[in-house]
Amino acid sequence: MKSLIYQCISCLIFLSALSVQAADAPLKSSQLSAYPAKVQLNGNRARQQLLVTVLKENQPLDYTRDVQFKSDQPAIVQVSAAGVILPVSNGSTTITVSNGAQKIKVPVEVKDFDQRVLIDFERDVHPMFSRFHCNGGSCHGKQRGQGGFQLSMFAFDPEFDYGALTKESRGRRASPLAPDQSLVLLKGAGKVPHGGGKKLPENSRYYHILEQWIAEGATRAVAETPKLVKISAEPTERIMQPKTKQQMVVTAHYSDGSTRDITDLAEYMSSESVYVSVDEHGLVTAGSLMGEASIMARYLGNFASLSVTVPSKNSVPDSYYAKLPRNNFIDGLVWDKLKKYGLKPSEPVNDATFLRRVSLDIIGRTPTAEEARAFLQDSSPNKRERLIDYFLEQPEFGDHWANKWADMLRPNPYHVGIKTVLNYDAWIRRSFHQNKPLDQFTRELLTAKGGTWHNGAVTMFRDRRKPEELTTIVSQLFLGIRLSCAQCHHHPSEVWGQDDFYSFAAYFAKLGRKGRGISAPISGSEEMVFTSNSGSVRHPLTNEVLAPRPLFGKVPELKPNQDPREILADWIISPQNHFFGEVSANRIWADLMGRGIVEPIDDFRESNPPTNGPLVKALGKHFRDMKFDQKEYIKTILSSYVYSLSSLPNETNVGDSRNYSRFYRQRLRAEVLLDSISEVIGVPDSFLAMPANSTAKQLWTHRVSSVFLDSFGRPDPNQDPPCERTTETTVVQVLHMMNSREMYSRIQSPEGNSAKWAKSKMTPDQILEELYLTAYSRYPTMEEKRLGRSLFEKEKANRQQIIEDLMWALLNTPEYLFKN
Amino acid sequence: MNVSKNCNGITRRNCLQLGLGAMTGLGMVDLLRLQGIAKGTSAQQPKAKAKSVILIWMDGGPSHYETFDPKPDAPVEIRGEFNPISTKVPGVQFSQLMTRLASISDKFSILRSIRHNQGNHGAGNHYMMTGAPPRIPVGCGSFVSFHPSMGSVVAHEKPTINNLPAYFSMPRMSRSGGPNFLGAKFAPFVVSDNPNNKGFRVRDLALPNGLTDDRYQTRRDLRQQVDQLKRIKDKVAGDPVMNLDEYYEQGFSLVASTEAQKAFEVDGESAELRDKYGRTPFGQRALLARRLSEAGVPFITLYEGGWDSHGGLFKSFRSRMPAFENTIATLIEDLDERGLLDTTMVLALGEFGRTPKINAGGGRDHWSNAMSVLMAGGGTPGGLALGATDKAGYSAVERVLSPENFVSTIYTKMGIDPDKVLYTPEGRPSHLVSDPTPIPELFA
Repeated sequence: MKSLIYQCISCLIFLSALSVQAADAPLKSSQLSAYPAKVQLNGNRARQQLLVTVLKENQPLDYTRDVQFKSDQPAIVQVSAAGVILPVSNGSTTITVSNGAQKIKVPVEVKDFDQRVLIDFERDVHPMFSRFHCNGGSCHGKQRGQGGFQLSMFAFDPEFDYGALTKESRGRRASPLAPDQSLVLLKGAGKVPHGGGKKLPENSRYYHILEQWIAEGATRAVAETPKLVKISAEPTERIMQPKTKQQMVVTAHYSDGSTRDITDLAEYMSSESVYVSVDEHGLVTAGSLMGEASIMARYLGNFASLSVTVPSKNSVPDSYYAKLPRNNFIDGLVWDKLKKYGLKPSEPVNDATFLRRVSLDIIGRTPTAEEARAFLQDSSPNKRERLIDYFLEQPEFGDHWANKWADMLRPNPYHVGIKTVLNYDAWIRRSFHQNKPLDQFTRELLTAKGGTWHNGAVTMFRDRRKPEELTTIVSQLFLGIRLSCAQCHHHPSEVWGQDDFYSFAAYFAKLGRKGRGISAPISGSEEMVFTSNSGSVRHPLTNEVLAPRPLFGKVPELKPNQDPREILADWIISPQNHFFGEVSANRIWADLMGRGIVEPIDDFRESNPPTNGPLVKALGKHFRDMKFDQKEYIKTILSSYVYSLSSLPNETNVGDSRNYSRFYRQRLRAEVLLDSISEVIGVPDSFLAMPANSTAKQLWTHRVSSVFLDSFGRPDPNQDPPCERTTETTVVQVLHMMNSREMYSRIQSPEGNSAKWAKSKMTPDQILEELYLTAYSRYPTMEEKRLGRSLFEKEKANRQQIIEDLMWALLNTPEYLFKN
Repeated sequence: MNVSKNCNGITRRNCLQLGLGAMTGLGMVDLLRLQGIAKGTSAQQPKAKAKSVILIWMDGGPSHYETFDPKPDAPVEIRGEFNPISTKVPGVQFSQLMTRLASISDKFSILRSIRHNQGNHGAGNHYMMTGAPPRIPVGCGSFVSFHPSMGSVVAHEKPTINNLPAYFSMPRMSRSGGPNFLGAKFAPFVVSDNPNNKGFRVRDLALPNGLTDDRYQTRRDLRQQVDQLKRIKDKVAGDPVMNLDEYYEQGFSLVASTEAQKAFEVDGESAELRDKYGRTPFGQRALLARRLSEAGVPFITLYEGGWDSHGGLFKSFRSRMPAFENTIATLIEDLDERGLLDTTMVLALGEFGRTPKINAGGGRDHWSNAMSVLMAGGGTPGGLALGATDKAGYSAVERVLSPENFVSTIYTKMGIDPDKVLYTPEGRPSHLVSDPTPIPELFA
């Protein structure tokens, strides 16, 4: 079943038997329609998948698997139960498509059936390597290939693949003298042992094409073969009811204007196969859950897609959504999405939860008891807005947000040098303390010049020394495009190829460096970064020198002596590049809301669609309108009604993890947690290579040792790229919270809160209040007070020990460890 | 770098078909087994016997000359100050300080022919520790990770028992010893404390010193009472708090499990045995490693730096090696006496060997063309010295093996298919080892 089915009609019949959408409710008024409306088959190797659609209540439904197909002249064409038409001889006829009593006729013309068309490697043979998964990264596509046979990943390099097939292995892979003895056929058909199994059964349609190509001499190209221009898919958009099916038809368009049905040669993938899956024949199946997915068809580096929505069964009247609060544009756009699925937003949270959320989000620590009291006792109507403003003005804002960017930018001091990293860290930190607009920050970073000891911003160019390495990080950070795939092969699910990658890299070709370079492990010297007069980037396959070019759009011409990086930076932050605003907006949104609208947050591509397209667009635009003022942008999100929703689900939204109908709980970040714990304990932590009373957020490198931070996860600067930071909880974290001897002794420190409160005249109730306010940002409940009091009232009660035990207990709960 | 290089460019398969394997000094039986492994037929599949690995990582790259590959016939500027000594196995010689290991050389194998092309610490560490060369050139001092380490892979593939972490690293993490894309869950659990100290406790796994069991119980009860956050029990909600609860359960049972806690009690061993291992941090760590492997921990790294002998090599070896090699020998003997050597592997190696010519400072520099690796247990034959370097120790020349072969051997012995494909969170497929060919001679 897995192997090959194309020509195998019986299998297609079997598939159609799986079709869930039964035709047991014959249509009355709705009309059958076929795509294509008229079929033209040129040559004996042509084929055409038909698509049969019925409009029902204005919704197109796929009936391809539910109707009967009949060739009106089987001597001219044959048609399979799945609607695949194959030519038999020249002539014109019709296919009758019937759904019960309803019938339509689709005209078919077969031409040039007897004409012998030579097999062209790139057009006819090369696509098979992708279709039969020969060239994937787990097979012959990996570096060094498999079993000595290496193909270019996803067929990005036909020259290489042709060579691998015909020139290596003493020509045994393709032997024109004995085509059927060619290794590629013997192995592909599983006639000799093949690790990949039977990919190309003997006598199958594509087996024959490959065999014939070898017999014709296994030539590199047939003269005047038209080139592939693009591919298209039909349909491109559908609403599918749960557990229904939809056939896709994929068509290749060539330079001579001709087209071919390549439905059976394209590769398919779903962005969210939980909701919508697709098989290797382009048959799409909706799952039982409501949701969305984008189905991509890939063919020789070209893409076409079908976006599918599976609606929910909840029925909530439109009027419900009309009445929902709208604090700003965010709410409306989220409600639109919730309405589509019949999801109701959760209740808003109380003041205490809101306070804790806002404080953790803006300054990266829990509020102090004093801050909590002030807010909880405030009765002014705009107290939440004032709270947001208050935290935005705290100096910790800069350290908290710089810490996030440091994750992505700051290299290992062992690599670039200690002083260099200190300078870089200071530059990043200063930028956030000044609330530098993000476009300005980006431009300064990308065009930085000077010495590493004088301008920390040049460090990226010291750390990443090749244009390729810079391309990878710059495209991911500021465009949200993972261009790195295209360095070695065509991006597996995007239009970007090697020419895009290396043309982008060419912006960094003229980077000059003076002074002592990397001399790890110290790398102690200064290095100058400047614009040099020479330097170029070549295409790795063609060896052609590439002119700098952005991924899309127009840029001004490079002036003499101008730094090409300026053009790149200006293009990146310009309004024509919507990616910059959107990826930046999405990154901050994900931090605050617990999940990116695009996820992974810096992987924007058609095959990875946003969960709320209008919202990510609007946020990107808003951020740009705010002139990339991060505080203003954060305030916008925090002021939305959506931000204030509870994490607890209602009857409709327990399964919603993408549409923001409720808040998604997040484990606190390592530094945030450590700094907050210090607040509860009342004793600052101490770090090597840092001044006394420094917070974890102020660390200038992740190499300052801390078992706590390592356990809770900070980016591994040894990893490439270093920006990944775990948000998981692990048993190691839990063990550290429970049993860490550092925490144990800090909790009982004579300078700490436990000793202070125990010695003071505070009553048990006052101590409990202080404890709960510092740890949970709320007052203890009656029940909690009763429990606490009972501890203090026990015989021989030791006040300090009770506080210590309570502190330990509070810190070890999810109410403490999570942003709720 | 690859097995095939033996045959001057002829592929491995051809080499076998032509019977050229005989040139490498293998007997006919070995050859047949080699063919079986190459074909991957299940009947001849090498046996996965090992349940745990104790990896002694000699960071810096120990000299092959002064350990297991002496070259008495080389000129003095290469040969060095030490003489070769005979070992228990006739014909196999070690360098003069390796006396204890020489006396039990019938219990382990020495690999003398692994070579690679990564001559700096960062890259060499990465290659030997993960089986994959770094994707981009990296500097000497760098600590890089492009691929999951052996320890993380084993932790990923082999569940641990008693709720103990599956991958320990003591007293620190080795370079490139991390999980890479496998995620934090498979990072090593680092025990930096010195088991040679009185009152040794493993951080976080046992109660902190001073906290009584009673008070710990009070805290546990209290925690349960103050924990009021509502859980979202429905699985589709994916509430991360539910995972946390599970980990707390695990944590509490780990603290309560006498079996698990016993694993750390090196002071439960007889004074005699502790002396035998050596009253050094490394000696006692090796003993702790044995206890952990007994308790079911599948991967333990003992990191020992300081083998980067660019100067004063002989002096430093004289002062350090006797105790060091005694510990390794004791560990192997101890495992053997307990009948655990069959299921516990002991490996000792660094990232590369050292230059043939002794430099002006009386040391040797980085050299990845030749190195020596000790491998014991898990079905590794005893007394084997596999492969050889040339007369002067410049380069591995006989039965040349790659880091890929080495790492594939470890995985295969642990019952992990080295050809297995894991997927990164981005969906990129990644083979455990790109050339998943284990070394057949090491499967007894």
